[in-house]
Amino acid sequence: MKIKSDYVIREVAGTCVAVPTGKASIDFSGMISLNSTGAFLWKQLAEDKSEQELLSAMLEEYETDEATAKADISEFFNKIKAADLLE
Amino acid sequence: MKINLNHYKIADLTIAMEGAGETLQRLMKPYGVDTKGKADITMSIDREKMNKTGEEYPHLSSDEWEYIQTGYAFACKLLDFGGFCLHSSAVALDGRAVLFSGPCGTGKSTHTNLWQQYFGPDRAVIINDDRPALRMAKNIFYTYGTPWSGKSTLNTNVRVPLGAVIFLKQAKENHIRRLDNKEAVQMLIYQSQRPSSYRNRMNSLLTLIDGLLHKIPVYQMDCNISFDAVKTVYNEIYQ
Repeated sequence: MKIKSDYVIREVAGTCVAVPTGKASIDFSGMISLNSTGAFLWKQLAEDKSEQELLSAMLEEYETDEATAKADISEFFNKIKAADLLE
Repeated sequence: MKINLNHYKIADLTIAMEGAGETLQRLMKPYGVDTKGKADITMSIDREKMNKTGEEYPHLSSDEWEYIQTGYAFACKLLDFGGFCLHSSAVALDGRAVLFSGPCGTGKSTHTNLWQQYFGPDRAVIINDDRPALRMAKNIFYTYGTPWSGKSTLNTNVRVPLGAVIFLKQAKENHIRRLDNKEAVQMLIYQSQRPSSYRNRMNSLLTLIDGLLHKIPVYQMDCNISFDAVKTVYNEIYQ
């Protein structure tokens, strides 16, 4: 899975935001703000990654247990799938 | 042969514009300059292409379409020079610019018009009623008039230091509060003229918004249409 490459992700005054450009901006004229976990996962998905790879990356980066990481990933996916952000 | 080639100075940038229609030339006249040498921005209007793209919007006259398109093109190119346009009505008072922003119909122009009534039009000057240019020079954020100021075409060729940005919301009672960065970022992004097609310019816009938030206070104001609303903002910003 991979995030649509048209999105620009940036930190702006302490908030991580993702803004569409190009074709993605025709489908969605808003913006998305991400918390630190969301921003981490978003950046992971700049390249094609599986759910298992995301889980490993999260466990490596954060001091958390597998169940919490899985829940965070699941929540993240629900949001980005709903907003049609995956290629 | 250069058709209708004129030079202008807008937001401290020299612009060479070629092929503008008579109405647009008239609206741009207050910004006209005599200049030799290379312009910062060059805009060349292809009349045929302009008319073709305008066909999609039959409710707009060709003059209106040209006005909107050139305004948008300027806002995009401005991003290459550390500036951007914010959808807002900008009023200058006592050496500072206050920008009233928000979606269409929120009452931005109504509010700045109240300022003119309350303080008098000599003291409260409309810099741009729809889309002022904001640009950093010598570490100060300036608000600039431009010829592109929406339906009212109210604008003044001035440069005034930016004092505050206020997002308006219609309400019964007047109440102003400072926005935290998270809320302010979203509102600024939504009301900025965004370069949808250009990734690097989008990055420039986000950098500018970041810079603005480090320097300029951003507020939300619940407001009604009254002089009390004017005083509420004045007391917060100027006292």
